[in-house]
Amino acid sequence: MNSQITRRGFLGGAVLLGGAALVGCAPDAQRQQAASPGTLQDGTPRRGGRLRLGVVDGDRAGTLDAHKPLTIGSIIRGFAVYSKLWEWNAEMNWSPALAEETEANADATTWTVRLRQGLEFHNGKTITADDVIFSARRLTDPALGSPWAALLFTLDRERIDKVDERTVRFHFKDGKGFVPFPDTFTNFGAIVPVDYDPAKPVGAGPYKLKEFTPGQRSLFTRFENYFKDGQPYADELEIIDFQDEASRIAALQAGQISLANGIGADQVRLLQGDPRVSVVVSQTSNWQSFDLNLSKEPFRDERVREAFRLLTDRKELVERALSGHGRVANDLYSPQDPTFDRSIAQRPYDVERAKALLKAAGQENLQVELVSGEGGDAAALVFAAQAKKAGVTVTVKKVDAATFNGPRRLDWTMSTGGLLTESFLSSALHLDAPVSAANKTHFSDPRFTELFEQAITQPDVARRAELVHEMQRIQHAKGGLVIWGFNDALDAVSTGVGGVVPEHTQFATWRFEKLWVKETT
Amino acid sequence: MSRPATGGRGRWLLRRVAYGATAVWATSVVVFAATQALPSDPAMAILGGDATPESLARLRLDLGLDRPLWQRYLDWLGGVLTGDLGRSLDSGTDVATLLGGRIANSLALLLLALSVAVALALALGLFAALRRGGLADRVVTSTAVSLQAVPGFVVAVALIVLLATTVWPVLPAASLLEPGLSPFAQLHYLVLPALTLVVAETPYLLRQVRSSVVEALESDYATAARLRGVPERRVIWRHALPNGLVPAVQATALTTGVLLGGSLVVEVAFSYPGLGGALNAAVGARDIPVIQAAALLIAGGVVVVNLLADLVTVLLTPRLRTGES
Repeated sequence: MNSQITRRGFLGGAVLLGGAALVGCAPDAQRQQAASPGTLQDGTPRRGGRLRLGVVDGDRAGTLDAHKPLTIGSIIRGFAVYSKLWEWNAEMNWSPALAEETEANADATTWTVRLRQGLEFHNGKTITADDVIFSARRLTDPALGSPWAALLFTLDRERIDKVDERTVRFHFKDGKGFVPFPDTFTNFGAIVPVDYDPAKPVGAGPYKLKEFTPGQRSLFTRFENYFKDGQPYADELEIIDFQDEASRIAALQAGQISLANGIGADQVRLLQGDPRVSVVVSQTSNWQSFDLNLSKEPFRDERVREAFRLLTDRKELVERALSGHGRVANDLYSPQDPTFDRSIAQRPYDVERAKALLKAAGQENLQVELVSGEGGDAAALVFAAQAKKAGVTVTVKKVDAATFNGPRRLDWTMSTGGLLTESFLSSALHLDAPVSAANKTHFSDPRFTELFEQAITQPDVARRAELVHEMQRIQHAKGGLVIWGFNDALDAVSTGVGGVVPEHTQFATWRFEKLWVKETT
Repeated sequence: MSRPATGGRGRWLLRRVAYGATAVWATSVVVFAATQALPSDPAMAILGGDATPESLARLRLDLGLDRPLWQRYLDWLGGVLTGDLGRSLDSGTDVATLLGGRIANSLALLLLALSVAVALALALGLFAALRRGGLADRVVTSTAVSLQAVPGFVVAVALIVLLATTVWPVLPAASLLEPGLSPFAQLHYLVLPALTLVVAETPYLLRQVRSSVVEALESDYATAARLRGVPERRVIWRHALPNGLVPAVQATALTTGVLLGGSLVVEVAFSYPGLGGALNAAVGARDIPVIQAAALLIAGGVVVVNLLADLVTVLLTPRLRTGES
């Protein structure tokens, strides 16, 4: 499956270097670094030192639970502590990690996974098939109540076969096939030992937990028997929680942290003149949208939906809401998926046609409330101004994360939305597939459902692509997601850290095993 | 403030403590009711937008959200009385552990900032009062008024740019206190946040001190003392200052109360791990046990501070001290 993906190369991924370091007006230490060729991007990894990553986790402190990470900070800490059967490569496709070989049968009704030889957990215990079975069962255990279990809704947890000490075979409910098993199992499928205790978490990730102070920081030490030879490089890793982005950026500039993942696009300009910091730009397929609730007026009417798509000036949204750090989207997700239909024409920006459609639908002088969740305000405000040009009054209502995801989360008439890069089927499972738990748009189409059922059991990419193409045409014409842009992942990195390279993912600063400290301070 | 009856100072104190305890309890009821009125419920806030009805139902059961409100409140109250503040819904950590370190951090910051602010306010307030109407007084007073008008976050950002990141980077920009270590052992992290609070709080205190000392200096008893030939120095130190201190003590208590829960701006700007930030985050995460405990602590702190201030006031005021009208 992975081999069929064309590598698009890192066309958009450029490192914005702090200008001063290059022209030589930086302090001596930095000038030396800039002088030795390639140190800013590559260099030879060196061992030792402490990596310090600052994360902004909103109001949450989060946990270390392997299978129930509920905040971005928790997920990032999981990247340090845990390893999985698969991992995401730079193109955001899965490739084997703890697994040596993984294989689906002809109709994807079983997946067989064989572990590498000689794998170890942090506590020295060998990783066996039993641990894999335990981990899969724990993630999907109703008693754990992990929201991520829903993605594996079809896994038959009573029927996970131990073929031998290193081999496990997974089956799915009702003997149905499940193509996106690696996609849905990788994100939250940390492999943990059978005696796993979330209070004293043991995994097989590059770093072992030393201390965890929720809401403040966590400290990790290098796992010497990590499965990737020679890695990780740093002696220690510290992940520090910030409540405020400005404070995190100041700490980075003051040298108190060396990495800041996923910074806001508006921070980039501030950092561009700073010789101590470079911004690594990863072009992703992480997308942002306005979600129209198809079960409510005025969006029951297809013409109104179409009008909203046409009056959305995507270029302006990318320029203003993302400060230019992104690309225009065409109301479809997962362009990185090999089954993506590239022949669907980009929807134009056409206010006149939007007005005509609204008029035909009897919706002139339409008033709509747009509920904006965390991080959606800028786009919502830009959109409100755009809608005005088509005679639509959009009132932006900003709510906190808890309210946004609260009891009314499926009731908003129109709301901001988005998702990180996932495969087509996996994204659909989150959003608009018949089994989705969070179908904010209430999209439901009999033909789409039928095609989804077929696609999810079709491991052959070419055949699945035919099905997906038809599904995407339905989404493009009738769906409720106005996907206006893909945003770049922006990571700010101190010049003292090596190994952060642009990818097509948001993981550039989370691949802790690959990062190193250039000078020990 | 009630006046202690002759021979009944103990009873007065006891009554004040009882009032204080009642106020704290009432706060706990109000806060508990308020958490119920917040939009969203803890289960949804914790699990986020992807949660299935099954996992939500499971979590609600685990959190005991299916039980009636009064029962949950009584359970919580029972826990508090036996020293068990419960567990954080967000991180699963023991609330006492979670807030313990933050209280210490907040108190350290408060102590440092207040001691500097009060000393500065007393010195400058007295200085201005003695030169009332003169140029020095006008400079001090107008500087105080202008500083009071500057929002806390502006001061914080200015100090960060000045002393941490750009102009003269000598201090840390973020107060990343080492958990488990006393804040006083890592004073360099306290300097900028404390300085911000000093800049924010000194002007108000200073103006209180100045106006009450001026009032005392111009009072009948000061004039009478002067007419009796008491030297001016003695008028100032023995008569004017102790009386001038009473409003300053009350103002300090008020400031302390505000800072106990309200140094939020400073905590956020410097990523300082204090009580205000924890409470603010807990509200955002609907982490009810943490909200309850933090609110209770802050309310308790305010009550204690006010009680202390009243005690000091009584000791400073002869009329109240002796219980005679």
